Amino acid sequence: MSVTDEVQPRAALRQPSRWELPFGSIATSIASLLAALVLTGIVILVLGANPIQAYGAILSGALGNPYNTGLTLMVATPLILTGLAAAIPFSARVWNIGGEGQLYAGAIASVLVALTFTGLGAVPLTILSIACGILAGGFWGAIGGALRVFAGANEVIVTLMLNFVALTVADYVITGPWAQNISPQTRNIPKGVTLPTIWPHTAVDLGLILAVIAAGIVFVLMRRTPLGLAIRACGFNPDAARLAGFSLGSIIMTAFAIGGACAGLAGAILVIGVNRALVPDISANYGYIGIAVALIAGLRPLWILPGALLFAIITVGGNNLTASSNISTSVSLIIEAIFVIFLLAFRVIRLQEATS
Amino acid sequence: MLVPQFTVAENVVLGSKPSWDMNLRRGDIENDVRAVGEKFGIRIDPGQRVATLPIDVQQRVEILKLLYRGATTLILDEPTAALGPAEIEQLFVSLRDLSASGHSVVIITHKLSEVMAIADRVTVLRQGKVVKVAARGSFNAEDLAVAMVGHAIREVTSTPRGSDDEGATLDVRELVVTGDKGHVAVDRVSFGVRAGEIVGVAGVEGNGQVELAQALSGLRRPAAGSLVIGGRDMTSADPRTLHRNGVSIITEDRLRWDLIPDLTVAENLALSSVASGGYARAGLLRRRAMRGAAERLMDEYGIQPPIPLLPAGSLSGGNQQKLVLARELSRNPRVLVVAQPTRGLDVAASEFVHRRLLQLREENCAILLFSLDLAELLALSDRIIVLYRGRIAHQGDVRDLTTTDVARAMAGMSGAA
Repeated sequence: MSVTDEVQPRAALRQPSRWELPFGSIATSIASLLAALVLTGIVILVLGANPIQAYGAILSGALGNPYNTGLTLMVATPLILTGLAAAIPFSARVWNIGGEGQLYAGAIASVLVALTFTGLGAVPLTILSIACGILAGGFWGAIGGALRVFAGANEVIVTLMLNFVALTVADYVITGPWAQNISPQTRNIPKGVTLPTIWPHTAVDLGLILAVIAAGIVFVLMRRTPLGLAIRACGFNPDAARLAGFSLGSIIMTAFAIGGACAGLAGAILVIGVNRALVPDISANYGYIGIAVALIAGLRPLWILPGALLFAIITVGGNNLTASSNISTSVSLIIEAIFVIFLLAFRVIRLQEATS
Repeated sequence: MLVPQFTVAENVVLGSKPSWDMNLRRGDIENDVRAVGEKFGIRIDPGQRVATLPIDVQQRVEILKLLYRGATTLILDEPTAALGPAEIEQLFVSLRDLSASGHSVVIITHKLSEVMAIADRVTVLRQGKVVKVAARGSFNAEDLAVAMVGHAIREVTSTPRGSDDEGATLDVRELVVTGDKGHVAVDRVSFGVRAGEIVGVAGVEGNGQVELAQALSGLRRPAAGSLVIGGRDMTSADPRTLHRNGVSIITEDRLRWDLIPDLTVAENLALSSVASGGYARAGLLRRRAMRGAAERLMDEYGIQPPIPLLPAGSLSGGNQQKLVLARELSRNPRVLVVAQPTRGLDVAASEFVHRRLLQLREENCAILLFSLDLAELLALSDRIIVLYRGRIAHQGDVRDLTTTDVARAMAGMSGAA
């Protein structure tokens, strides 16, 4: 009999948590998705429908024809950006739950700019409007970061609360001086201020390109710049980052600001490209779903692209469930939720394997 | 591994009973554990919470855990790494008792003195191969050292220079530092380190060394007193400011403070440069330059395997330590605060570290060396200060000190000559 045990209590007690390792691998994500599909399949069976048919309905609903595919890509666009909004601060191991509020901040700023500076030409106004949306999102994110850094507040609670503040401001803008007074929304932005459609006869506009470019920029930022190294260092081992001379406060603020800027861009795209005005519920919980997107992508900027597409497929395709399988569209929410639960569960298993 | 929140008995029993056993009574398991402890002469109160126990007692809990499960063979990996001399002796007493009662004990260690003190048989491994097997009586320390490094060691010994606090580069006056539990860990300590001098800090672990080192590193704000570096007041400076003023820090816990195991070796080597704006061009990292510099440093410091893109966490402890040294020493620091630089390293690696420190001293760096290894302090330091309960119990030129003086001061015996 051989008993091996590291008799170094001090070293053992201090062992750093495996949460410091990069978030789970892509294989974990795929396994979680399969497990979620199987479990949801059982739920669908209980509901009296054929799971294979139901999944077929989701796929055809999301990708079955160019129009639906366009719709899926349109939904994927803000999800890419809110995924980035979560992933960047997560990489510094601070939790940005405020993607939704940052998206609204971007939407509010872009609609106000587009309605105010109508004297500018259409193209400059579009660019200005988007830029202000990005800045406003970044500012809203930085508020959360600043409260964390300077006041020691819990960033999860602060960013969550800031979502409600942003929603309330959005309500004011919709019902206040900018109201359209016909339906509950602001006046429409000037005609020329728009994002050109890049796929004729579908809803896919330049916003998708902007989102993909943003993911590319974030990839370069995280892997190829001093700031990215600082963010990753801060996330992996804040103690060592501090001792090496990094200023953790400014890293955290910057991570929140850049994340918020991504969400702000999503808000601007939703206003300018999709809705042409600020409308209630302009975000279909994109800020929150973005957190799940960031997690399944293992916080890797480029993997956020397929991650966002996947959630868009489930969301858009889910609308086809009632028509084709006669079950509720909320089954798609069940898939998404179980998917994330499995993802977290598998990560816990990996965590135990890694430390045993 | 222990669960710090659990009691001794809970830790010992943990995992040895089926988890559906609902009939665990606190009193019963405590009696069981006490009985096993008495049988093997390990007397620990089973009702104590592990977190409240000193490290050496925690270690005995680990051993008790194995014995409780009926282990007949114990394999201990560097069991003395965190222990002071008296605690080591106590551990050895327990281990001798165990071997006398028919248990087999395997100790993996790099300290020759321990081998000489306790081993009945010794196996020397070098680069994964057995190079020597010998029974007690047929080996001596010199033999083993030769077997370990493959050539006879030239004992690294500095030529001490007499000096005092005049014109010190690192000047500490009446420093008071509080520890984690709010107690006074460092109590009105004053000393200086001049350029080109190594001052050693001796003491049994837990006498304020960690808190003092952290105060000097900007990680812990002193409660009173002053810290002056190169004529500038740095009493409440953060690590960033210290860094910019030529202060290098090597802590005793490299995985917590010095390294980021998930980043690559090259990134770790460049970390402090990047923090002060290095390796940047047009907002991008100069990754090729980083890799080139890493390759040069890895070659110079003999870091194995010589692959800059490996995660630092995948290196062995000795190579991780070399990595930290390479980063901090290559900055040509004015002041170096270094703790336990050779903990866990083999003889050859330790010798390498010692040479580097002496070389840095020749380059006029002011070095403050914290070590639990008295031989190391005596070999390297120009002066030694002994900390006992947060105060300087004794200090002096290394040429005027004897081991006995230092040992008496470490043990808190007053009147050391």
